Amino acid sequence: MKKRWSMAINMIRYLYRLTVYTFFLAAATGSLQAAESLRNGKQVYDTACGACHTAGVLQAPRLGSQEDWIAREKQGFEVLLSHAIKGFKNMPAKGGNPTIKDKEIENAINYMLVASGFDQYAQKPVKKEAAKETQQPVAADKKEPVKKTQTSSVNQFNRLMQPSSEWNPAPAKDGIHDPESPGTLLLQEPKVAFDSLSKSKSGNRVDWVKALQGHEIAPRYDRLSDDASPVVMDLNIVREVKGSMPDVVYPHKQHTEWLDCSNCHPAIFIP
Amino acid sequence: MFSNGKCISIAFILSSLATPTIVGAEYGDVLINNYSDAAGMRPVVFPHWFHRIRFRCKVCHADLGFKMEAGGNQINMLKIIDGEYCGACHNGEVAWAVENCDICHTGKPGQPTQVHQSTASKLTTTTKRKQTESVE
Repeated sequence: MKKRWSMAINMIRYLYRLTVYTFFLAAATGSLQAAESLRNGKQVYDTACGACHTAGVLQAPRLGSQEDWIAREKQGFEVLLSHAIKGFKNMPAKGGNPTIKDKEIENAINYMLVASGFDQYAQKPVKKEAAKETQQPVAADKKEPVKKTQTSSVNQFNRLMQPSSEWNPAPAKDGIHDPESPGTLLLQEPKVAFDSLSKSKSGNRVDWVKALQGHEIAPRYDRLSDDASPVVMDLNIVREVKGSMPDVVYPHKQHTEWLDCSNCHPAIFIP
Repeated sequence: MFSNGKCISIAFILSSLATPTIVGAEYGDVLINNYSDAAGMRPVVFPHWFHRIRFRCKVCHADLGFKMEAGGNQINMLKIIDGEYCGACHNGEVAWAVENCDICHTGKPGQPTQVHQSTASKLTTTTKRKQTESVE
């Protein structure tokens, strides 16, 4: 009898703990989801659209250029919205980020149109239910809801999807150099060095292989000598991939122009 | 109301949702803080891009023995003055010499050793930092 009572008490304790944990988990994730629920146009633009629409990559209409937007605006807001959501020509659906909500895309287009001189969109009301959604998370979680949205954003996590305004920052503004240090101001800015080099879409936006092949740079192969040249091995290793992906081609040539065999063999790859 | 264990669990859940600092440094820059903070110096920021324009990877990573791992080389000033690691070039002959402390030691204090803009570092920084703290 006593044993049964203690089992029952243990069961009640277990259920109590389970309820408490579930409550906290739900509260935490719920507030996060609520904070994520709707971003304003600028926030969406900065994390997704800006990578192309700031500089006009692949003929994307540029933010602030009414000339770029005028023909598009004439098609009507609904057409622009549909293109942005489904993708159109060079533009991927939702700027390549499927987690963005349709209403957020609407906010982003609105933001871009207003910033490009179409003042009539400044009056365009954000739908009422959307406005409600934005107010709720503030009540649920007053501590920096915007930051939490950024944390969970795919684009913030993926370094390849930064808006162009964040590419190659000056040392004093890059977040790791101390702007108070006298040395920081003596350093060359990456943008100055990269200006004449071939561009790429990722990393620090320089295509180092092309820069080397095109003699845009002449990095030494030896610490002391300008004349030493690498032993280049022109051999492609093709590895078949199971499934529907194309085979992987590893080009020795581009790697041996930069590296020594001992960098990869035999520690990483057994030849 | 809650035992210590419960408080720690709740704190862990909430902290896992907190925002990490987003840093915009140049891709591949290495922040080296193995000894700097403890020595009262700013950490070192190694600009990979600046050196890549001037030297091929092989010079440092094969000839000079730099391991391809942030914090994996345990570089200190004694080794540099003896001509190892950075000191192989920063000797007043190939490049400017070690007396220019402020040009290398430009990092914000308190940051962990890591490669910037690396997706892997975003995933592992917290774990590595905790491991380092527990070792110290």
